[in-house]
Amino acid sequence: MLEARGVTVRFGGLVAVSGLDLDVPDRGIFALVGPNGAGKTTLINALSRVCPVADGTIRLGDVDVLSLPAHAVVSAGIARSFQRAELFPSLTVLENLLVGLHSTMKTGLSGALMTPASRTEEQASRTRAERVLRDLDLWELRNAAPGDMPYGHQKLLDVARALVSEPALLLLDEPFAGLTEAEAPRLLACIRAAGERCAVLMIEHHFELLEGIAQRMTVMDFGQKVSEGTPASMRTDPEVIRCYLGTGRHRTAAGAAC
Amino acid sequence: MSRRLVIAILVACAVLPIAFQGLGQRQVYWLFVISEFYVFAIVAISLDLLMGRSGQISLGQSGFVALGAYTAAILNQRFNVDLPLGMLAGAATAAVASLILGFPATRLRGHYLGIVTLGFGIAIDQIALKWDALTGGDQGIHLHRPALFGVDAGTPVRMYYVALVALVVAVLLVRGLTQTRIGRSFAAIKDSEVAAAAMGVPVARTKVLAFIVSAFLAGAAGGIYAFLAGFVAPEDFGIESSLLFFAMVVIGGMGSIPGAIGGAVVVDAVKNAAATVSGLSLTLLGGMIVLVVLFFPGGLKGLLRTRRTWREPRPAPKGVVRQDA
Amino acid sequence: MMQFLLQIALAGLAQGSLFALTALGLVMIYNASSVVNFAHGAMGMAATYVAYVLIARFEVPFALAFAGALVAAFVLGAVVQAVFLARLRNAPLLSQVVVTLGLFMLLEGLMGIAFGYNPRPMRESIAIAPVILGDLVLRPQDVLQLALLLILGVALAAFFAATKVGLGMRAITENTYAARLMGIPVGRLLAVAWGTGVALSAVAAVLAAPTTSVTPNMMDTIVVYGFVAAIVGGFGSMAGALVGGLILGVVVNLIDAFLAPELAMSIVFGLLLLVLYVRPDGLFGRAQVQKV
Repeated sequence: MLEARGVTVRFGGLVAVSGLDLDVPDRGIFALVGPNGAGKTTLINALSRVCPVADGTIRLGDVDVLSLPAHAVVSAGIARSFQRAELFPSLTVLENLLVGLHSTMKTGLSGALMTPASRTEEQASRTRAERVLRDLDLWELRNAAPGDMPYGHQKLLDVARALVSEPALLLLDEPFAGLTEAEAPRLLACIRAAGERCAVLMIEHHFELLEGIAQRMTVMDFGQKVSEGTPASMRTDPEVIRCYLGTGRHRTAAGAAC
Repeated sequence: MSRRLVIAILVACAVLPIAFQGLGQRQVYWLFVISEFYVFAIVAISLDLLMGRSGQISLGQSGFVALGAYTAAILNQRFNVDLPLGMLAGAATAAVASLILGFPATRLRGHYLGIVTLGFGIAIDQIALKWDALTGGDQGIHLHRPALFGVDAGTPVRMYYVALVALVVAVLLVRGLTQTRIGRSFAAIKDSEVAAAAMGVPVARTKVLAFIVSAFLAGAAGGIYAFLAGFVAPEDFGIESSLLFFAMVVIGGMGSIPGAIGGAVVVDAVKNAAATVSGLSLTLLGGMIVLVVLFFPGGLKGLLRTRRTWREPRPAPKGVVRQDA
Repeated sequence: MMQFLLQIALAGLAQGSLFALTALGLVMIYNASSVVNFAHGAMGMAATYVAYVLIARFEVPFALAFAGALVAAFVLGAVVQAVFLARLRNAPLLSQVVVTLGLFMLLEGLMGIAFGYNPRPMRESIAIAPVILGDLVLRPQDVLQLALLLILGVALAAFFAATKVGLGMRAITENTYAARLMGIPVGRLLAVAWGTGVALSAVAAVLAAPTTSVTPNMMDTIVVYGFVAAIVGGFGSMAGALVGGLILGVVVNLIDAFLAPELAMSIVFGLLLLVLYVRPDGLFGRAQVQKV
């Protein structure tokens, strides 16, 4: 369903992603792994049209993703979470989620007049948001300020926001980073369920997690695809071992620029 | 703000003119001052929507107010246009004019926008002064007695209620907006443009929309002001005026309707009380702004924050919040 | 006609010098601390009142009073930075803008209370009669303004290129965090940057004072043009601010002569929008890449 060919992303002189090919079918969970600075987040940014692509093509079904402006990506069916949960601190948890439904709603300025149509749509959206929040055990915090929550909860909310619009392709950037032992299983269940409805492409460092849920892994290093296969086969792939040695489970503070 | 408090305040405002009857001669003055305050509160709310909610600086809000006021005044003077239509025409004019700021708002960095809006306010002021064939120059324009759908509204008491109703309507509209999709999108672009775009919010268009709505409200307020004062002149709308509205939003606490109104109360009170000593109100307001920014970033709203506020985020309930590993 | 245009150009360059001086100070402050100092003009104005009091009350000779104003301006800038801006280092940009606006109101108000709004006189910095060159009238004050601008411009360039303090400031501009790690006394340098920036505003103000008289709002127009000049030059480029200011001075004088003086600022802002449309980072600005 997602077909990327020869994707190249440059920042000035730095080539962050180079000639990358990627195929993601329309269902299942797929992992993007590699050491820090490998270009994984940059690739996600390219797929979600956050940064410009210097070369290559990206197609989702028969939609040319590169022809879309950043805000049209979610309507095309691509939703994402962020490495540093880009939440909206001015809004409550529930409202954050409702923004995730922005593209599915139509109410414009008529919202100010509280017309019956706008109220109906608002109520329907709230129901959808409630379901997602309950799934992630965040419903009790629905009126909280995101900034008041622990970081793990914020990451959960970030993922929830992407999920709520029921995208065809869900891009998750290190969703488990910062989660406690107690929070992880819930997110895992959530992602597993999502993988049955849509395609999930997630950046993740934790190998054990991936072995449980990912059908396939793509390994990147220095902006290029280094290897691809099932997690089991990746365990013994010499290229992958080379990448992983020295990276371990430690996240460094700096990531790729984009 | 609890519902009961709001109703109590509304009732108090509604009966105020009756209470004022005891003031005899001074009644007219006080009715005017409070009516003017209601109009300023609408402008403060409009500016808060722009600065507090969508995070875009505007140092020229008076420009929109002036456009609204002059449109209403000119239409009234020449074509006898009535209050409702004059107000709407003023609002529409200001909204259309705000498109000029559309390009700076979407393409320029924050402080550039501040300077450009400053220039906008100055430009409107200068044009009002210079284009005397249309605006009467420094002589200003006198309006005819205001009327509302054929009913005379020319008494201080009637205009008082007009202004009060207008404020209530403005509050309801803005509250409706902020509780729904568009209002949320304003907050989203302020907090994180990238995330907002990822959720389908067209950032540039939303910024412009925020300006249009803000200008519309400020223009409407200007239109009402014209009928209220019965007279418009450039000196009502200069940079000092823009700074006053700016102070209202900052002191009241950004991103809050009660905050904007509270800020309007404080600023208007200081302005009126300190009017006799030149420089005093500027000093007091400037000092307040500095204190607010340094020590009370939430403004008045932050100071008076109660546990159950309108649509404010509550601190997370205990027991659910866990420490991170 | 040529003579007329030349006269306008001269007047334009002279007035533009004031815009440029103001803009230089603004850009200096912005470069060091990423803050647009909306109180810039007001601070220069306050320093001018110091000069005025020194002259009127204490009968200090003009040159000393001028120097006194500069010292006062430096101290004011440094203190404002240390007391107000330093606390807001990690606050959102909007807060910093707001605080300088608050300071602008506070300063103008205080001067208004202290001295009233009646214009106070200030003499010209050079008390020599105008020189007539053919059909041109050359006012020494104008020449002084331009000369001071160029001298200060060169001095600042040398300062940033060659001195330790200057290099330190450039380091802060590039990367405050790294500068701190390298032992550069960021706080002190920020105070110096603000002090110097405001001193530049004071130079402009004292030079302008003979024409505008000393009033609490004497710098309001000049500082707005200073902003425009800084933007046109590309907020960040001091050379741009200098050139931008001079160009702006000529443009304003041309508008005064051929169009309507009362609409000068409106027209200038219209032109500014045009310039920014074509070059959103100003004439000399470098495009800034946004990091996500």
